[in-house]
Amino acid sequence: MSDITTEGKAGRPPVEELVAQAVEAERYSEPSRLQKVGDHLKREWQLYLLLAPMVIWLVLFLYKPMYGLQIAFKDYSIFRGVAGSPWIGFEHFERLFESEQFLRAIKNTVLISFWSLVIGFPIPIMLALMFNEVTNALYKRTTQTIAYLPHFISSVIIAGIVITSFSPSMGIVNAIINFFGGESIYFLTKPEWFRPIFVGTGIWQEAGFSSIVYLAAIAGVSPTLYESAVVDGASRWQMMWKITLPSILPTIIIMLIIRIGNILEVGFEMVILLYQPATYETADIINTFIYRQGLQAGQYDFAAAAGLFNAVVAFVLVITANAISRRFSRTSLW
Amino acid sequence: MSGVTLDGVVKKYGAVQVVHDIDLTVAPQEFVVLVGPSGCGKSTTLRMIAGLEEISGGTVSIDGRVVNRVAPKDRDVAMVFQNYALYPHLTVADNIAFGLKIRKESKEAIASSVDEAASILGLNAYLERRPADLSGGQRQRVAMGRAIVRRPKVFLFDEPLSNLDAKLRTQMRAEIKRLHKRLGATSIYVTHDQVEAMTLADRIVVMNDGRIEQVGTPMDLFLNPASTFVASFLGSPPMNMVDATIETAADGAYAVFGGQRLKLDALPGLQGAAGREVTLGLRPEYVTLDASHPNRVNVDVELIETLGSEALIHATLNDKPFVIKAETKGAMSHLSGVNGFAIEPGMIKVFDADTGRALSGQTRVSA
Repeated sequence: MSDITTEGKAGRPPVEELVAQAVEAERYSEPSRLQKVGDHLKREWQLYLLLAPMVIWLVLFLYKPMYGLQIAFKDYSIFRGVAGSPWIGFEHFERLFESEQFLRAIKNTVLISFWSLVIGFPIPIMLALMFNEVTNALYKRTTQTIAYLPHFISSVIIAGIVITSFSPSMGIVNAIINFFGGESIYFLTKPEWFRPIFVGTGIWQEAGFSSIVYLAAIAGVSPTLYESAVVDGASRWQMMWKITLPSILPTIIIMLIIRIGNILEVGFEMVILLYQPATYETADIINTFIYRQGLQAGQYDFAAAAGLFNAVVAFVLVITANAISRRFSRTSLW
Repeated sequence: MSGVTLDGVVKKYGAVQVVHDIDLTVAPQEFVVLVGPSGCGKSTTLRMIAGLEEISGGTVSIDGRVVNRVAPKDRDVAMVFQNYALYPHLTVADNIAFGLKIRKESKEAIASSVDEAASILGLNAYLERRPADLSGGQRQRVAMGRAIVRRPKVFLFDEPLSNLDAKLRTQMRAEIKRLHKRLGATSIYVTHDQVEAMTLADRIVVMNDGRIEQVGTPMDLFLNPASTFVASFLGSPPMNMVDATIETAADGAYAVFGGQRLKLDALPGLQGAAGREVTLGLRPEYVTLDASHPNRVNVDVELIETLGSEALIHATLNDKPFVIKAETKGAMSHLSGVNGFAIEPGMIKVFDADTGRALSGQTRVSA
């Protein structure tokens, strides 16, 4: 007890001073990481509450099912379950790459995606630029509505319209061909016609709706830039090339990266609805292959391997596209 | 060099008229500033001159040619905008060259024009940068460079310094003044800042509610405001306004308020005006603290603000705020006992209480 005195021994500060220093140190000490997170959550809890439904959805429907991915490496049996099925390594993948049908599906997926990208990607941008140039409000609203409409029609109905339009007996396309003296073509049974019809249908259905993103980006361009260009003597065409397009370039790049990431995700329902064995040669894609193998033939493990391969390739593609974009255009998804 | 003439210019948006019969002549090489509060129609008037707004009535002429139906690019004007209007994806050099490239001038001509403008504005070191990498002042200089290279007949400035901080604004104000002296181009400048108007203009056009209140040199407007609006808009601190009644005596007219009175100059408008309600305008700068002056009234001093060489004495007169600007002469002690002020009768402006128009004549300031 003798040490603890208010006087303190020679050379040592009194107890009160030590206590005061400790209190001071406590007051000004850096909060721990956990404290910081706690403070942040307390301050911004409303934002996290808004985010919660999306996170829950993501976990339930995209992360939890990943548990099942392991069947790609197992000899899966529905009776033994996911955990009970024996591991067989890369056997399914070996089978996949020996399967001509799978290699054909990869080729078809890439080709359909490639043409959809090359032809389908610039069209919404062009549409947005054209909508932006329309000055008559009524005309603008009408054309936009007409362009957006197909997006809201179910794929089944779209496929019905396509099948009817290209029908050899009553389709309008063949009626026109007949009118000019040509012979009816059985479009949907000929492999060489599948890709143009599929790509064209996709553009018709989605181009208008996809243009909304670019229209929003155009709306964000400062009107003073155009006024300044008008005073400088720029024509509408020059303004479109020199102001509008460069201003929406970051949006275009982001959309392109997303699109490249989805290059192996060809609209599966539409293919299922439009293809038939006669056109498998050009129409069978990875997803329809997985559907036939997995659900129709019951080879869940084999189909899971194909799906996993698909996902890994898409993942690599998106990362590569993002890295390239970040390096060359300063714009990237993350 | 070319002048600009506005003759009965009107702007309507549907049934709403925002600019009423503007008549204005800007002489060649003149620097005219349109000043007024927000929504007074000054920017709209400028945009009509630029061709960015349609003219609902009257005519706008540039260099003697009516340009009402002439496209902006063919009016030979260059405009500097408040938010700079720089193209974010282009470098400084490309931004400056934009107008010349649009006009398909030769590469050599463009390069030399850009170099010249960059030298004038001190932008040589930044030519390869993008607008995002520049400060506000540098961006505004680029915007001016873009206007300079066009060598237009008329420069139009739409509140170009509003986005800058106070220090940079003072600096850029001087640069614009220097630039105008160097280029000698006809310039029309819009601002809501009376200090900018006073320092930059050859002539100021004060606008209010879509109409011109008064046109004149900065000194003319400062000394002889045509209305209470102009009087209170120009000057910092603004002119003090005191409600009073005219009283006439054998030795002339007096303004009476709250039991006190101030002698007024013998003005034509005040003859036989006994009992007339007026508003007196007293500039804080022209009020003296001379205790022996015969034309003196008392005030209640509330506080004194020191500005260094000067002090602002905040007081009340007739239950209204009244500000006196006094020299400190390096000390504040002589201001502590202030309880009134004096003013020469010739320095008091008299306005009609109902219309707000000036009744008094020209103010004379002895050198």
